[in-house]
Amino acid sequence: MVSSEKDQRRPAAALAVLVAVAVLALGLAACGGGDGGIQGGGGDTESESVKLEGKPSGSVTISNWPLYIDKGTVPAFEKAEGVKVKYIEDVNDNTEFFGKVQPLLQQGESGGRSMFVVTDWMAKKMRDLGYLQTLDKSALPAVEENLRASLKDPSFDPGREYSIPWQSGMTGIIVRKDLAPDLKSICDLFDPKYKGKVDFLTEMRDTVPLVMKCEGVELASASEDDWMAAIDKIKAAADSGQIRRFTGNDYSTDLTSGNAVAVIGWSGDAVQLQIENPNIEWRMPTEGCILWSDNMVIPIGAPNPTAAEAWINYVYEPKNQAKIAEYVNYVTPVEGVKEIFDKSEPELAKNQLIFPDDSFTKNCDTQPTLSGEEDQKVSAAFQAVVNG
Amino acid sequence: MRRRVVPYLLLLPGTAWLLLFFVVPLYYMAELSLNSGVVGELEFNWNWDNYSEALSLYDTQFIRSFIYAGVATVAALLLAYPLAYTIAFKAGKWRNALLFAVVAPFFTTYLIRTLAWETILFDESPVTEILDALGMAPEGHVLATSGAVIAGLTYNFLPFMILPIYASLERIDVRLIEASKDLYASAAQSFWRVTLPLSAPGVVAGTLLTFIPAVGDYVNAQFLGGVGNRMIGNVIQSLYLTQSNYPAAAALSFLLMALIMVAVFVYIRFAGSEALMGEEAV
Repeated sequence: MVSSEKDQRRPAAALAVLVAVAVLALGLAACGGGDGGIQGGGGDTESESVKLEGKPSGSVTISNWPLYIDKGTVPAFEKAEGVKVKYIEDVNDNTEFFGKVQPLLQQGESGGRSMFVVTDWMAKKMRDLGYLQTLDKSALPAVEENLRASLKDPSFDPGREYSIPWQSGMTGIIVRKDLAPDLKSICDLFDPKYKGKVDFLTEMRDTVPLVMKCEGVELASASEDDWMAAIDKIKAAADSGQIRRFTGNDYSTDLTSGNAVAVIGWSGDAVQLQIENPNIEWRMPTEGCILWSDNMVIPIGAPNPTAAEAWINYVYEPKNQAKIAEYVNYVTPVEGVKEIFDKSEPELAKNQLIFPDDSFTKNCDTQPTLSGEEDQKVSAAFQAVVNG
Repeated sequence: MRRRVVPYLLLLPGTAWLLLFFVVPLYYMAELSLNSGVVGELEFNWNWDNYSEALSLYDTQFIRSFIYAGVATVAALLLAYPLAYTIAFKAGKWRNALLFAVVAPFFTTYLIRTLAWETILFDESPVTEILDALGMAPEGHVLATSGAVIAGLTYNFLPFMILPIYASLERIDVRLIEASKDLYASAAQSFWRVTLPLSAPGVVAGTLLTFIPAVGDYVNAQFLGGVGNRMIGNVIQSLYLTQSNYPAAAALSFLLMALIMVAVFVYIRFAGSEALMGEEAV
């Protein structure tokens, strides 16, 4: 019944479909396989030290996260120190950035970067692989003088040998105070009253330590078993439907729409969300918070480390840091900035999310660290829960 | 002599493109999937364990992905066929307008379209309340359930189903349908024995174009799903981008590719080959 002309067209149609399928598959493979080219080989774990060369000069390249600095600081530094700065905002995600620079660092190169900014655990990971230089403290008197006491001795870098905080932040609870007025602690998040109405972070190093704090674990001495026990608790809550979703910043949509009444979230987001919706409020968990930092680090092979250290020292002068703090709304790691704001912007100075006083953060801890092998085991267990 | 060279020259750009952006990355990924160790200390040593581990650790997500994609494909087919049929045979002067309406959502990016569903389906929304009243939201919410993920997949890939079916329906010689009526076939008989078989290539193409990307999708599960709704795409993404476990991620990608290929071959063998190759006994 079918005309012979149509018969001939069929294979053409089949071919068209196969081509379309191949194109689609190609598109998917391209999406998934971006990091396909990482090669093996051992990292040199012997750490280098910064070698200073007289007065800062020349040019310096700094990689930072987007929207993490005001417009005036870079030109002001260039003028004050006579150094040319190339400031690039190419860090969007710790792991992604690691994927990008790791092949270079492996060969002892930094891709022309004199400095970049990564979060605590990533700084430690890079240090363990031998990718970061030990800083020369003699060029950093302002850091010595002004670094917040609570940030001076984090467990991942005791004594701040290779990392100096750029900005810090707190991980705790963000609530809808109209919908969950009584929710005050991490343990409360497990209350069946809020079943299906709480979001946890996909960021393991925030979520799991907070749950350990609810369990009463001392984070500084947390063992692999403590991590695993907390992950089991999270798994039980996920399986029972207590936890609605694991999210990143996108918890904000759940909070504004009321899909979630409380989430584990970041202080900097809370400042922003509060402005948009007065019912959204940050709560310091009764157990305390996680205090994290994004840190300035100098990679191996970095050109002009002298100027990079001058930059670190420059932003640790309170009057210079105040300009950055006014713009970014995160916790400033520099003492003495609050006093400047007391005079110029007393409203901002009172905000505990930007200038937490020591009594506010007294129960807070820095992110506990794991050895490489433990880290991989614990990550796998946590991701199994997230991807359940 | 020259005439023989020309076809190869014409093939050259496409072949080079495929080699550079498909075969080469595929080779690197294959090598990576047989590495062991952590990033920075990766070592190639024919580590086939990555594959067996991936399968035993993530079998749930594999099965879930194939079920979600399968249900979404069937749902899309049931929605798309009547629509394509109407556009092809009954729309008259509205045909182009309707086709445009099918394609129009594509002017917005995939991500935005998916996020829009978050707004439509939030817990207190009228839509959610209606669904709840109808008993279609047993947990009291629609978002963060498997239903939401499947609905999102169906919605996002629906045009891939509609367009090929429309194209094959539109090509049907209406005289064949008329002939079946002349031979005393009822409307139903002439649909089942003439129209449907003749549109089979479109159905097969549509199901493949929907099913294959749906299995590997992770956007819908991420934004519309909740705990226990993540698909294999989410696992691969998390292995690559949060756990930096590149070998496992690469192995999982290959397994997914292999499983999709097996599924597609089985499907074409039993349902599609006749339709595609034009040997159906009409």
